[in-house]
Amino acid sequence: MFSYIIRRLLYAIPILFGVMLITFLLFFIVQPPEFRARAILGEKARPKQVQDWLHDHGYDKPTYINGRLGVAIDKRATPGKPFYDSLFVNQMKRLATFDFGLSDKTGLPIAQTFLDGVGPSLCLTLPAFVVGFFMAVALSLYQVFVRYSALDRFGIFLCVACMSLPPMIYMFVGQSFLALQLPYFPAYGFDLHGWSTVKFLLLPVSLMVIMNLGYDVRLYRTIFLEEITQDYVRTALAKGVPQSRLLFVHVLKNGMISLITLVVAHLPLLIMGSLLMENFFGIPGLGNALFHAIQLGDAAMVNAFVYLGAILYIVGLILTDICYAFADPRIRLS
Amino acid sequence: MLALAALSALFIAGCGNDPNLEPLHKTRADGSPWEVRYAAMPDDPRSLDPQFAYDQMSHRLLEMVMDTLLEYHPFKTDPYEVMPALLEAMPQRSKNADGTETYTCKLKRGIPFQDDPCFPGGKGRECTVRDIEYAWKRMADPKVECPALSALQDYIAGLGEAYDAAKKAGKFDYSKPLEGFEIVDDQTFRIHLLKAYPQIVYWMAMQFTSPVPPEAVAYYDGHEHPDGPHGKMVQRPEFKWHPVGTGAYHMVEYKPASRVRMVRNPNYHTVVFPSDGYPPERADFLRQFAGMPVPLVDEVQITIFRETTPIPILFKQGYLDGMGVGKDAYDRTVTTTHELTPEFKARGVRLEKDLDVSTFFISLNMQDPVLGTNKKLRQALSCAYDGQSYVDIFWNGVAPVAQQLMPPGIFGYDKNYKNPYGYDLEKGKKLLAEAGYPNGIDSKTGRQLELTMDSSATGSEERQMTEFVQKGFQQLGIRVNVVEDNFAQLLAKEDNGNFQILDGTGWGADYPDPENFYMLFNSRNFPPEGKNACRYKNPEFDKVFDQMATMDNTPERLELVNKLRGMLAEDCPQIFNFHKAFYTVVQPWARRTSTNMLLEGAMKYQQVDPVMRARLQKEWNRTPAWPPYVLAFLVAGAVGYAVWFNRHRNV
Repeated sequence: MFSYIIRRLLYAIPILFGVMLITFLLFFIVQPPEFRARAILGEKARPKQVQDWLHDHGYDKPTYINGRLGVAIDKRATPGKPFYDSLFVNQMKRLATFDFGLSDKTGLPIAQTFLDGVGPSLCLTLPAFVVGFFMAVALSLYQVFVRYSALDRFGIFLCVACMSLPPMIYMFVGQSFLALQLPYFPAYGFDLHGWSTVKFLLLPVSLMVIMNLGYDVRLYRTIFLEEITQDYVRTALAKGVPQSRLLFVHVLKNGMISLITLVVAHLPLLIMGSLLMENFFGIPGLGNALFHAIQLGDAAMVNAFVYLGAILYIVGLILTDICYAFADPRIRLS
Repeated sequence: MLALAALSALFIAGCGNDPNLEPLHKTRADGSPWEVRYAAMPDDPRSLDPQFAYDQMSHRLLEMVMDTLLEYHPFKTDPYEVMPALLEAMPQRSKNADGTETYTCKLKRGIPFQDDPCFPGGKGRECTVRDIEYAWKRMADPKVECPALSALQDYIAGLGEAYDAAKKAGKFDYSKPLEGFEIVDDQTFRIHLLKAYPQIVYWMAMQFTSPVPPEAVAYYDGHEHPDGPHGKMVQRPEFKWHPVGTGAYHMVEYKPASRVRMVRNPNYHTVVFPSDGYPPERADFLRQFAGMPVPLVDEVQITIFRETTPIPILFKQGYLDGMGVGKDAYDRTVTTTHELTPEFKARGVRLEKDLDVSTFFISLNMQDPVLGTNKKLRQALSCAYDGQSYVDIFWNGVAPVAQQLMPPGIFGYDKNYKNPYGYDLEKGKKLLAEAGYPNGIDSKTGRQLELTMDSSATGSEERQMTEFVQKGFQQLGIRVNVVEDNFAQLLAKEDNGNFQILDGTGWGADYPDPENFYMLFNSRNFPPEGKNACRYKNPEFDKVFDQMATMDNTPERLELVNKLRGMLAEDCPQIFNFHKAFYTVVQPWARRTSTNMLLEGAMKYQQVDPVMRARLQKEWNRTPAWPPYVLAFLVAGAVGYAVWFNRHRNV
């Protein structure tokens, strides 16, 4: 197992390098930092201010190497500095050492933004994930319990309907119906103080749960239905085990193996929050910060977030593999 | 499951939908209600360092925390006027024999800084001339990166030199005096200018020149200190996130991307509510506050809305005191006849029009071989632009069509003036023929005239706007090709003059003076250093401009401003578009006192009726009783069905 984890971690290195390379191309070659400086500093900025901004953010260095690259020499090359004192090498080094530097727009340390945003993001995504998981399991078990009945079919219809609606519709309806027409919830805002936090989170968490419920219930129902056709279930039924015990003990236990391995991949990404939901409800989490950074063209911030997202995704995949091995002893990681 | 549903229903019914925080107090010391204003802001401030911040959001907050030496009169907006704030009186201007000028300023006595832990015992000390000197030196400190430096170093003696010396030494020496800032006594100081620059008074109304206590900058260093209980190490914020000033409010809470809370500064007495300059339509309402100490409201809570969709919802619930009517909410708020919808009218909401101090125009490149040399062609293009239809279609008819470069409220603006080359298609066709292009055909080559227009038309609505302008020009018979650029590309083209027609250019006032607008056409202001995007070069214009720029607002100056206006109208280096304007809706309990667009909310002069608000909020947010029952019924039905189904199951 240990050597397997080490091997998987080594596989992650070229993937991460690829991510770093693509983000560099996008943020430094496709859209040069000079353009960004003008957009961020505004149209009244003078050339000196633009130059100072580029210098302060370390964007005034030659692109690939400090010196001759082929026949051309980068006009920003500085004699006397080492050949690796370039934008490309510095960016790679920064990401690899998790030194994300300062935000292009706010000038705040990106690491600080990240640390400040993790709490609010997890406040939203963790309860939504846990409640959503248990609700999806409960509802899918209910559907399996009343399988092939009219209510089961109606449930499938509802699931498909839920899956078909775009997320924005949930948010619009949630805000204008549940917050405005039935004034149960605050329509916007966040406060990290005990019950006050719960008050602000009820609506976005509920909407997030409902948003994912259609897909999850449909999937879990399929998994449980597959389980219910197994031989051991038929034997138990023949021996007179009641439907409820059969479902909630035997089927649930065996079905959970598949479910856990499915959901564990999502766990690390919960840290990154929800892009739309946080922005729409004013939750100052990482999703909100990323959404805002994209809107403002804050490349340094987006770059760091994409890189961290990639790392968390890889961690999720590794966790899934490990879970498989633990949950099913027949699987050997060779 | 039933229990869970019932519990959640109970909880939901009890939690309430008010998104605002509990006010810090319920009542004041005298037992009267603690008054709170609830406002919205679309983004975070970039910094709260008064010598660095130059964005609207930062100004909105700094205006509450920092006093300025002078400030815009909250009610005098036609024309805008500055009045003393921290200064006892307006600065005394004196002209010296060598062409330099001196402004003598006298600081009010007994103005204390806000109480803050950076002062001994946490008690704010008196603001002195030294604090103003320190702030002015900070403008020249390269580490502060003051955006006003580039403009002011041309006028204030020694400012540029101090910056260069600090840049060379790697550190600003605050012990050295600043040549342009002379301390006369503990109350008086003089500003020495290298040349005449009457606009300096407007800079004194900006936070760049506000006093800063040096101990606050030293104290709030962003490092850990043993400030916690039992000497526990706690990180102090940086000064740029913890401003300390003499303003009417002090900031007690700032949560990025979330909210800001300001509370009245109990020691504030820099100014009182003005007793003059009331606009006639609001004079009766304003008179009741004349001479009262400010701020009128004890606490201000500002919610940061990066997403604007929830703003109308919160306004409708009564949890925001006012909101700008954006395009999303326009149809739900204002009728086609520019009135409030009956629902808002019945609620007592007020609709007010705010006119921004800005002008938008289309720039024509005067160095272009086709456009630059043919005045009649430019005039013809100007005549083909239908400003009124443009404003009606894209700005709901709210924004006024610009007839001249300067927006209303600035000295020299004439509301009766009409652009001689305003929309008139027939005149445009005639001018085009005189320009050598009858019906858009070049009389020399016989080919259709083809022009290129650059635009930042990256969204669908912006594209429609550009198409509107393009179609207008094409009505003359010429062909206009549109090139769509992003913002940065557009600025790059403006910098290097690589365009014929540039759509969507404009200018928002830094200060309300004709110099700030007409400098856009001064030949010394070519891009990239300046903003003369049209590259208009007219020695006569430059001469009149130089003369006008240094004058006080006199009838002679007005004559020169009119002369400049006439030259631009005749030469047509630009096509005037509109002055930005928008509607604001205000709750019945929060009628605005000041609507001055050069102030960012004028919060210290605003008022509120908390009793009316509490009553109406309750009325507008009644919770119906039926939803928990419906939820419980559905859950019970599902459980019942499962039980019934199990009993009748075949397998």
